[in-house]
Amino acid sequence: MARLLVQLKLRQLTNALRSSTGAKVSFIISTTFAVLVAFGAFVALALMRGTATSVDLTTVIFTVFAFGWLILPIFVFGLDSTLDPATLQLYPLRTRPLAVGLLAASATGAWPVANVVGLLGVTVGLARGGLGVLFAVLAVALQVLFCMVLARFVTTGMAGLLRSRRGRDLGVFLVIPLFALYEFFAQVVPRVAAEGKINAASFNGFDAWMRWLPPGLAAHAIQDASDGRAGAALLRLAILAAVIIVLGWLWIRSLRQALVTTDTSARSSQVRGTALPLAGYGRAGAVAARYWIYQRREPMSLAYWALAAVIMAAASASAVLQKPQHPAIVLTGAVFGAAFVGGFHANAIGLTGPPFVYEALALTGRRHLRSYFAGESLVLAAIGVPILTALCFGLAAAAGSPLEGIPAAAVALAALGASLGISAIFSVVAAYPMEKRAGNPMPQPASGSGAYRFAILGTLVATAVAAIPAILAAVFTSTVPEPIRAPVLLVCAAAYGLALAVAGVRIAAGAAEQKLPELYQVALRTRL
Amino acid sequence: MGVPGTELPRWREERAAPGGPAITVRALRKSFGPKEAVAGIDLTIAAGSLAGLVGPNGAGKTTSLSMMTGLLRPDGGQIVINGLDVWEDPVAAKAIMGVVPSEVRLFDRLSGAEMLEYSGRLRGLPAAEARSRATQLLDVLDLTADAKRLVADYSTGMRKKTALGCALIHNPSALFLDEPLEGVDPISADVIRRLLTRYVGSGSTVLFSSHVMELVEQVCDHVSIIDKGRIVATGTTDQVRGGKTLQQAFVDLVGPRASGEEGLSWLGSSSS
Repeated sequence: MARLLVQLKLRQLTNALRSSTGAKVSFIISTTFAVLVAFGAFVALALMRGTATSVDLTTVIFTVFAFGWLILPIFVFGLDSTLDPATLQLYPLRTRPLAVGLLAASATGAWPVANVVGLLGVTVGLARGGLGVLFAVLAVALQVLFCMVLARFVTTGMAGLLRSRRGRDLGVFLVIPLFALYEFFAQVVPRVAAEGKINAASFNGFDAWMRWLPPGLAAHAIQDASDGRAGAALLRLAILAAVIIVLGWLWIRSLRQALVTTDTSARSSQVRGTALPLAGYGRAGAVAARYWIYQRREPMSLAYWALAAVIMAAASASAVLQKPQHPAIVLTGAVFGAAFVGGFHANAIGLTGPPFVYEALALTGRRHLRSYFAGESLVLAAIGVPILTALCFGLAAAAGSPLEGIPAAAVALAALGASLGISAIFSVVAAYPMEKRAGNPMPQPASGSGAYRFAILGTLVATAVAAIPAILAAVFTSTVPEPIRAPVLLVCAAAYGLALAVAGVRIAAGAAEQKLPELYQVALRTRL
Repeated sequence: MGVPGTELPRWREERAAPGGPAITVRALRKSFGPKEAVAGIDLTIAAGSLAGLVGPNGAGKTTSLSMMTGLLRPDGGQIVINGLDVWEDPVAAKAIMGVVPSEVRLFDRLSGAEMLEYSGRLRGLPAAEARSRATQLLDVLDLTADAKRLVADYSTGMRKKTALGCALIHNPSALFLDEPLEGVDPISADVIRRLLTRYVGSGSTVLFSSHVMELVEQVCDHVSIIDKGRIVATGTTDQVRGGKTLQQAFVDLVGPRASGEEGLSWLGSSSS
């Protein structure tokens, strides 16, 4: 059984290389990252040799790896068929050999090997002496086994959920904190570390409670053994082994249950009212109502807003932390934020997907299509304006001149109008299908569609160019008294933005009228 | 909630007397690269007909229906619905047709009631009228109890019924359905079947594609058989059957495709 499941896992991995170009690229990137993680973790752990905080940092790294094992199977649930017990339900399999086989499958592949190799850095960093090295090897083996059993326990227990719509939604929502963490470490931490506010001493005592978690037990066992306390080290590893046994028992029980239980996850969501809002505003109102509901109920839409907010916040924090500060950072943040609102939505039809058929059948003439793009743009403006205003005033306050938030908000209004108009045009002239690939809950441009680079970059650049008059107005009126400057600037910038948005909507509607069947075919090829 | 049946909502209007052509297709062609998906089909469906377009998988049914409904640009040919050329005057033509696509992909984050109201409002109905019609359709389609549930949580049959409601809400005079009963349970299928029969009774026209011969034989008064992008037989159901079952007539016209069963000598002969 173990051999069969390992072969299945290997076949899945090798098949990726024979599959589409996208799958091949994903496989190569994933394997390259696994090698980099193995090398990076080994070196990072090895370099801790002799440092006072080596055990704390080792505990942190062991915990991060365990967290990765806990989270990643949720993303690759559809990619690795050994993770879903439903795929094995039809076969007459005994639970114990199956569990051993599944664990062997977990240990197969570049990432499990990268885990073992990377964590073995403790044999150089934390371990001292023969006993230390011996316990380091044992601790790494138990740590990796704990990670595998934990991942199996979680995915088996959550299999019904992960297979369902709610599970797919959960995957999308998990992208947000992970992306926020990535942005934090990529944008904020390096600047804070460069100022000396984060250093090795910051981790002192960090593991006060983490030492009692399984990864902490493994790390501290190595230190105990290195300090000659073999009994304490053995006790820690024994506790870790006991945790693995209990977790394994719970997993096998859950697996036994999953193999004989039909999935009856029929939980469904009910909405409060039955009526769509914005009655009395014609087709534009209907489109806006549907789009507004989607911004609230569709995880992908929420994720786009959250990702835009994370990018804005990380870029702003990064700019504010920069010394010396340039006075233009507030205005730059305003334009950048507005451009992203349009950039994320510059493929309205591809993002809508096959349901666009109901719109394509009903909205045929240019006037109807204007209503369509106007309805969507109104919703984006209704959400984008408060977010951008908060961003402008937040940035201005952080930069020490809160009043600068007013001209920045004016520039943001102009840029947002431009961004929405341009995004509507790109939605038509550079429409492309989207697809969800296993392992990534966020939709990606479908294989072979290069238009997305053109659409996203085009929206960002064109927004920046279109915002220049508003930026110049903000800069050249800086000497005008604020009570006069603020309202005039805000009204003029809003009018300019509105004019650009309306122009964009009209151009988009004219273009869409000519190619509605082609746009529908793009929507039809979208797989969300 | 009413018992699902054939009572159409009050807003149904009477249609012109059946007899004249409601759907006329001339020399319709479409190729995808070197593959000729539709190779010049001609078709005339009389008003008030419930017509079936049958054919094996890949015969060109969905491609033909997509072109007839203005969703796929043809390489050549003409489609006229109640006197309106679909590709010359798409705005007017689309206003009088309802469509249920083969792969029913609705706005699944709307509830059933919201989905129907949205379709109505997109078609230009005032919100109150769209809501009223949506309520009546949900009742007829036996979806009232699930009206507030998200479409994402609907079964295949419920989705097909919702899509049918969306196609009917603006009271079209021609209805195009691509595999309307595929994956639908018998109860839902019966609701849809009776609704369609009642709908054509008022002078409206239905053209639907299917590869379920029993269903077509049971409900259609006009049948066209399509194979390899060409119409190989068309006429009243009795004419096309020619005294046989439609299944047999279809197999005779299209020809058997499976072979090689002699390679399965082990099947059923032992327990291993």
